[in-house]
Amino acid sequence: MEANQITGTPLNRIDGLLKVTGKAAYATDYPVKNLAYGYLFKSTVASGTITQIDDAVAKKAPGVITIITHLNAPKLNVKGGLRGGALLQGPEIKFNGQHIGIVVAETFEQARYAARLIKVQYSGDAQAKTDFEKLATQAVPAKEPEVRRGDVDSAMASAAVTVDEVYETPIEHHHPMEPHATIASWEGDKLTLYNSSQIVNGAQTSAAKTLNIAPENVRIITPYIGGGFGSKGGQWANLALAAVAAKMANRPVHLALSRQQMFNSVGLRQHNIQHLKLAATKEGKLLALGHQTTTHTAIDDEYTEPCGDCSKVLYAVPNALINYKVVPMNIIMPTYTRGPGKSTGSFALESAMDELAFKLQMDPIALRLANEPAQDPTTGKPWSSRKLVECLKEGAKAFGWHKRNPQPGKNIQGDYLIGHGVACGSYPARQRDSSAVIKLTNDNGKVQATVELAAADLGTGTYTILAQTAADGLGLPVAQVQIKIGDSDLPPAAGSVGSVGATSYANSVNDACSKITTELMMKSGKQFFVRPTAAQLMASERLSSFETRMDAKPLADADNYSAHSFNANFAEVWVNRHTGMVKVKRFLAVTAAGKILNPKTARSQIIGGNVWGIGMALTEESVIDPRWGNFITRSFADYHVPVNLDVGNLEAIFINEDDKHANKLGVKGIGEVGIVGVAGAIANAIFNATGKRVRELPITPDKLI
Amino acid sequence: MRPFKYTRATTLPSAIKELSGNAQSRILAGGTNLLDLMKEDVERPEALIDITHLPHSAVKSLSQGAAKSGVLLDALGKNSETANHLLIRSQYPMLSQAILAGASAQIRNMATNGGNLLQRTRCPYFYDVAMPCNKRTPGSGCGALEGFNRMHAVFGWSDKCIAVHPSDMAVALAALDAKVLAQNEAGQQRRLTFDEFFRLPGDAPEKDNNLQHGDLITGIELPASNFADHSYYAKVRDRSSYAFALVSVAAGLQLNGKQISDVRVAMGGVAHKPWRALTAEKMLKGKEATEANFKAAAKAEMAAAKPHEYNKFKIELGERAIALALTNALNYGS
Amino acid sequence: MSEENQNPDLTDDEKRLFADLMPEDLKEIMDSGFNRRHFLKLMSIGGASVLAANLLGAEQVLARPLATEQAAATAAIENGVKLSFNINGASRSLTVDSRMTLLDTVRERLQLTGSKKGCDHGQCGACTVIIDGQRVLSCLTLAATCEGKKVTTIEGLANNNQLHPMQEAFIKHDGFQCGYCTPGQICSAVALLGEAKKGDASYVTSNIKQTGSAQQLSEDEIRERMSGNICRCGAYPNIVAAIMEVHSGKPVDQHFNFAG
Repeated sequence: MEANQITGTPLNRIDGLLKVTGKAAYATDYPVKNLAYGYLFKSTVASGTITQIDDAVAKKAPGVITIITHLNAPKLNVKGGLRGGALLQGPEIKFNGQHIGIVVAETFEQARYAARLIKVQYSGDAQAKTDFEKLATQAVPAKEPEVRRGDVDSAMASAAVTVDEVYETPIEHHHPMEPHATIASWEGDKLTLYNSSQIVNGAQTSAAKTLNIAPENVRIITPYIGGGFGSKGGQWANLALAAVAAKMANRPVHLALSRQQMFNSVGLRQHNIQHLKLAATKEGKLLALGHQTTTHTAIDDEYTEPCGDCSKVLYAVPNALINYKVVPMNIIMPTYTRGPGKSTGSFALESAMDELAFKLQMDPIALRLANEPAQDPTTGKPWSSRKLVECLKEGAKAFGWHKRNPQPGKNIQGDYLIGHGVACGSYPARQRDSSAVIKLTNDNGKVQATVELAAADLGTGTYTILAQTAADGLGLPVAQVQIKIGDSDLPPAAGSVGSVGATSYANSVNDACSKITTELMMKSGKQFFVRPTAAQLMASERLSSFETRMDAKPLADADNYSAHSFNANFAEVWVNRHTGMVKVKRFLAVTAAGKILNPKTARSQIIGGNVWGIGMALTEESVIDPRWGNFITRSFADYHVPVNLDVGNLEAIFINEDDKHANKLGVKGIGEVGIVGVAGAIANAIFNATGKRVRELPITPDKLI
Repeated sequence: MRPFKYTRATTLPSAIKELSGNAQSRILAGGTNLLDLMKEDVERPEALIDITHLPHSAVKSLSQGAAKSGVLLDALGKNSETANHLLIRSQYPMLSQAILAGASAQIRNMATNGGNLLQRTRCPYFYDVAMPCNKRTPGSGCGALEGFNRMHAVFGWSDKCIAVHPSDMAVALAALDAKVLAQNEAGQQRRLTFDEFFRLPGDAPEKDNNLQHGDLITGIELPASNFADHSYYAKVRDRSSYAFALVSVAAGLQLNGKQISDVRVAMGGVAHKPWRALTAEKMLKGKEATEANFKAAAKAEMAAAKPHEYNKFKIELGERAIALALTNALNYGS
Repeated sequence: MSEENQNPDLTDDEKRLFADLMPEDLKEIMDSGFNRRHFLKLMSIGGASVLAANLLGAEQVLARPLATEQAAATAAIENGVKLSFNINGASRSLTVDSRMTLLDTVRERLQLTGSKKGCDHGQCGACTVIIDGQRVLSCLTLAATCEGKKVTTIEGLANNNQLHPMQEAFIKHDGFQCGYCTPGQICSAVALLGEAKKGDASYVTSNIKQTGSAQQLSEDEIRERMSGNICRCGAYPNIVAAIMEVHSGKPVDQHFNFAG
């Protein structure tokens, strides 16, 4: 770190003051005048056709302004980029909980009540595909590409030691604390959507395309986002339906999903059945890796969680087969969910590695170190940087791994069985095109900067790291840098998805700083021995204002490298031997993710991912009743997000790393990798504690008694 | 939520009068469950009678002089106040523990003692008006019977309903032989044992208890307890806090040396009402307080359990929870 | 790396900005060493924060907002209930639909949008407010029942341009990410302090019979007592650190570990 740099320091979040005072404005916090309230109503069957909608009583209910169903909804472009269908374009029902209409009324209470008064009849839902356990055998090869090298089955047949097991992870829901919500407001042809969006420009174009209007007529305003975790990346029908409701009511409309509606409105992480095969020599050299994922998708669209991704990169193995099978079902479209594929996939892979280590009587860390690949085992490309070995070694030291008893079930303290487990993870590091505008003003020597780009901060720390990046890039104190994001009127930017946010945004802002400094130097016409800062130039040139725009691109040769963040996770669990309740007492995540722009927000991202992993390992599961295809666990009382007491001491260590191949700033992204490997480490620790190998998540008390 | 008329009652008798005058009216006390169900359209009252603000929230000792004779909990006392009341913490620690095991601090600050007993089941089929449920809509069938019944009853269920009562507090109250005080329009006071108050679903699961419309719970009476030195509330759940019980057990022991002179065991999460483990109690009375005896009694109690497809684990878990609660009652007290 | 040596020195510009931010407190802050360091932090955050926040003026952020009523159309109120109560120190009277929750009332009628709707069913804690000193869920509280009560929302915690210590501690310890559950977390945490002072017990209190004195809470005690506030971003360890710092009155260390 260079002297006096603010980047890399644990600056408190610059948006913190607004957040602790309740002043940060989320989608429905805007004081829009003359607001009406929408309430969605949904199908109660999983497939079939609507034969009748009786809304006569509802129409007459006090306060009702309009009721919109497929019978009177405007024609929308169903291929406009919104996910999951449900745009009120016809009577066909494709999943239970599909939106079938909206009531708009003067108040929220009136809209919700009127929606209850509507009676809907359906026909022909007998053939609904709702039972994954039964349908899994009918799964067919998915579009997700297969990786095949060598011959896994032959290697399995002849190897000294093998593992051949099936691991299962349930449907999970993102459940950001802020349910998806929109205020839609028309002024003539111009539509403003206050809407939580992880990808600001994506929300703009998909809304515009769906509504058949020009993107420049749609403005997305989303400076604060109450979490997203993938569910607010691609947008869903409710975004366009809010606009439709506002048009038809001829008033601004507030349309928020209820928590119950979140289960079948905005995607999910699907139920995965993962068949893992590992073959190794007696010394623990991997010979083969098979990773087949069987899952489900929507009845008319395909998304497959890439559970095999970690298996592609973590270990050197000559024979591999990584592939996917998928079956369409009458369930809402699955989508990206924090650490898509890597989180669930690493649970299977890293559980299998632990099983292998146990069979080999080998330390699980030693097994991993013995299979460290010199280059990407799947693509053959060199690593942009890879410090997984350091993650494991530093982690083992900090965690006290040597004190672990390798024999399961032997570490007993009072009512508790104590266990320790390790698991690794990875997540691709990518930079996307992103633009940024920097505006400098000089008010009697006080130089201030405004940085503008249509980036998103869903709690990741975007505001703060961009202020730090710009402060250093311009030579200004951070308090004189103003960050404007979350508005589609700003220069287009990448999204806060797939861990590309920090990389793309920070590089674009950094490039913009370089550009504006160079432009100011040229404007001055002077020679400089030491490159001056933009702030100094503004002052010396007595400019009252100056601005520039940078359209940043990834490094030209970025594709020549395999770039990933890596981690090693260490868990200590205490399992109550009477009740089977598990407490994660200690958890350590050691992460090699390139340059860390802000250790405070970065640590928060990692421990947040760890909490997600704890939920995946121990508590979270969405259950469908196949008779109706509906979610039975449709509230926060039934779907268990971890609570404060579920979370013990979490520690994060970052490995010093500056990856100049991945991107100019050497930043790799941390939002996703924090969850990867966590469930595996916990499940492995539970095995070490109890001797029970649970291959089906979540590991609830009933599975340990 | 259906529109409703709101009335702020001035006294308990006037609230009862108002209540009796309209079969579609309901009392609003803590509201933590009623409002929740009204938002789901499960409860659809046309009038709410607000008694939240009425000064009827004391915890009173019924003792006269030196004779211990119990405690009266006024119905409108908040769960948090009850749990933290010195009388309750010192004399009925199992009740404090049970209350504190339930819900969250915020909800315990709102929920009342009377309302706690009147909580309706958390069965997801009951909560979702699109699903069949005999408790919500008599005659519509039981969605849970052949459905996802992991959280459901293993004792005392009928083919009409397999729901469980969600309260933790009521489990401890059942163990303590508490009595429910109810008053009607005529001013008659009734004192109901838990057996008389709660029901099993039978053919009329729509009725959670034996109160009539127009009855108002005014208090809960706790008899003098000999279990304060050895009692415990154990709760097993899917996450460590803010979750309903898979199985919970309130246990109290009265010891004469090593011998059990009296014992109480009640279970939550296993039946339509707080379930008194009478078989276990009977087996333990007079026996030595040992882990082996606790386990044998637990096994005997759970032998009568009839689980469903997804809750077979409750038999073993019930055995373990009973033994654990008794062991902790013996070793640590509350 | 420790927190203390990470504070950038104030530039003159920052001092000016700070003067704009907190005119009344500036002298006191500058005169007192401890406070100075403390407030420098707040300042470097606060300054940029105000700027970052789409140009909300500093006064608007720290001053108690007026709970100004958005009049509802008369047609929009069914079974109207007249209601007078105190919100964040100000008396307000309005007529609400009997169905209206306190949460919807403060958000939709009084323009106090800090309290958040996360589930609307008492299962997340995002709507937590303080009524007459007790933390409660505004989503399960009918506005009609608040007659004569004293309601404090997140907007009412800061006092005379000074954040509540809990708000400061949440900033310092990064007790939030997306910030949506934060108002509820902070209201809950503030009330928790009072409960601990009274000696209230929790389910993890080891000897429930021991009554009377103020509780010095362990981390697990704080975790249990805060379990009614779900944070999906997973900021729990930071929330516990923030509360522990205010509760104990001693700074809680922050570690940012690097290796290799």
